Amino acid sequence: MEKKMCMALFSGSIDKLTGAGVILSGAAVDDMEIDVYVLLMGARAFKKENADTLKEMAEFPNAKDEFMASLKRLNVRPWLEFFREAKELTNVKIHICGLAGKMWGGEKVEDFVDIVDDICGISEYITAAQEADVHLFI
Amino acid sequence: MSEELNDLKVDEVIDARGTACPGPLLAAKKAIAGLESGGIMEVLTADEGSKRDIPKWAKKKGHEYLGDLEKDGYYRMFLKKK
Repeated sequence: MEKKMCMALFSGSIDKLTGAGVILSGAAVDDMEIDVYVLLMGARAFKKENADTLKEMAEFPNAKDEFMASLKRLNVRPWLEFFREAKELTNVKIHICGLAGKMWGGEKVEDFVDIVDDICGISEYITAAQEADVHLFI
Repeated sequence: MSEELNDLKVDEVIDARGTACPGPLLAAKKAIAGLESGGIMEVLTADEGSKRDIPKWAKKKGHEYLGDLEKDGYYRMFLKKK
């Protein structure tokens, strides 16, 4: 039985999503079973029209140019690619919190990027957190 | 040891020198899936974090880590698939 990871992804900024993506990769390489629960600000980033054009930094917004230049220099893939690749490597399910989706105008799973699996309620997240070997809030 | 590694017949070489962590590990994970049991893979990386991760990951997954060679500022890491 593979170990389970539960990630609460509250953040929707490019810096935190990149960090979340790197952690997700590590878990995927370890064949973990992963549930990502996309909460309030995260849901905005997963909207189809936003995912590729995110501009916001949550931390050190003044250092954005340096951050973006470093991503390019180090050949770090765009944040969404980490999520996409993790799904190819292991069992990753991406759930959008229903309230969060609605806040950003997303009612249905089709309103979000293609790697999103479903829209869920908060109790499912709590249950997954209780059952997980690793639980992260980002 | 290093001569043995140098002479090893390798089934697949993964050049991950263009990527930082977790790129080399992701590349290794993907590539080893395509090898047959007992197949030898060589991963090239200049990333210190990946240099530490790859042997630990291999051991955890039951693959044999055969060792590494340092060359011109990068590492050649050798794994045998379980």
